[in-house]
Amino acid sequence: MGWLPWSSGESNKASDGGRIAPDRGSRKRCWDGRDLFFACLDRNDILDAIKDDKEARRKCAKEVEEFEAACSSTWVKYFKEKRVMEYNRDQTIARIKKEDAATVQELKSQGWNSK
Amino acid sequence: MSSSLRMASGLLGQATRTLLAAESRQSTRILPLRNTRSQCRAYAQAQRPRIQSAQGMLSRKSFSVTASCARAKTMGQLKQRNSTGPFSWKAATLFVLTGAGMMIYFRVEKARLERKRIAEMSKGVGKPKVGGPFTLKDLDGKEFTAEDLKGKYSFVYFGFTHCPDICPDELDKMAEIIDKVKEATQDDKVFLPVFITCDPARDTPEVLRAYLKEFHPGIVGLTGTYEQVKNVCRQYRVYFSTPRDVKPGEDYLVDHSIYFYLMDPDNDFVECIGRQDTPESASKVILEHINDWKREGKPLKVE
Repeated sequence: MGWLPWSSGESNKASDGGRIAPDRGSRKRCWDGRDLFFACLDRNDILDAIKDDKEARRKCAKEVEEFEAACSSTWVKYFKEKRVMEYNRDQTIARIKKEDAATVQELKSQGWNSK
Repeated sequence: MSSSLRMASGLLGQATRTLLAAESRQSTRILPLRNTRSQCRAYAQAQRPRIQSAQGMLSRKSFSVTASCARAKTMGQLKQRNSTGPFSWKAATLFVLTGAGMMIYFRVEKARLERKRIAEMSKGVGKPKVGGPFTLKDLDGKEFTAEDLKGKYSFVYFGFTHCPDICPDELDKMAEIIDKVKEATQDDKVFLPVFITCDPARDTPEVLRAYLKEFHPGIVGLTGTYEQVKNVCRQYRVYFSTPRDVKPGEDYLVDHSIYFYLMDPDNDFVECIGRQDTPESASKVILEHINDWKREGKPLKVE
């Protein structure tokens, strides 16, 4: 994978010693790969592609290969972790909302008025 | 607070309607009165040559004719004039206009003072809480210090070019904000967008230049040594987690704060623009601060 600008090696070295970052095009390829892979995970009810790595690779073999080819390994890890984090965050928000609604219902049944 | 305001404006609206209705009624009543007066004047003028040719006794008579013209001719006219009292349609309009004007003025002024309070609050006493002296280098390798930010509203963002998703999104937003502010101010010297890298080992001037060019040519990219970058992050209270010794070719991510810092021309911190802001809301906030600064007649750098 030496032709990819972010793969390790000398190919992505800038002339002043820096490391060339992915450009808009390669970022988009990476994000598209990620979205396809995550859509596949959704279809197969897999949340954590790191914990359930084997199952994810078995069920979404093509997608995971394309995703990992299009993004650097740190990005792959970051996006997989972010997926779990965002899921947990959304679940927490939904739970709090439900609890709030339940509390309001209970208070209303006790004759409390929000006005 | 808002409900009472709404009630007050509702009342004012009602009052305006009643006044307007009274106004139209009054004007119809006043019109014939005016006509009689101008007719009187025409009569007096027509009389004048004859009066001049006649004796002085007549001229005194003509004076008395004019005087009775100014007064009401009939009891009906007298009553009409008295019934309006000190109120006239002019007074009513003036009253309504002044009221409306005051309300608009107070609302605008209240919003301005609120922004001023935010700006003043962030100034703190003595040392600013966010921002401070730093030394970095720009993309041409020239030294760039905090002094170079003075005289303009600067818009500082910290990030790194190998950032997976948040920085590119935020930089696209930054580009939109730059264009909006530039369009509104018609001046590209008042607003200075700055990108400071948190990852100096990989983000050299060449890398930064290529990276930022994709977003907006107006963004000033800054980099420096590890220590310099660590210092500027500390000044801006930015969480800095860049590993110190990275092996060549090693890949890593950098945690960093994802706020834009708006700094005024004294280089004091004004406000944060975050993920929740849209380009529209952000440029609105920035333009309000720029306009306040200009209105107060404070200095801006014009080179």
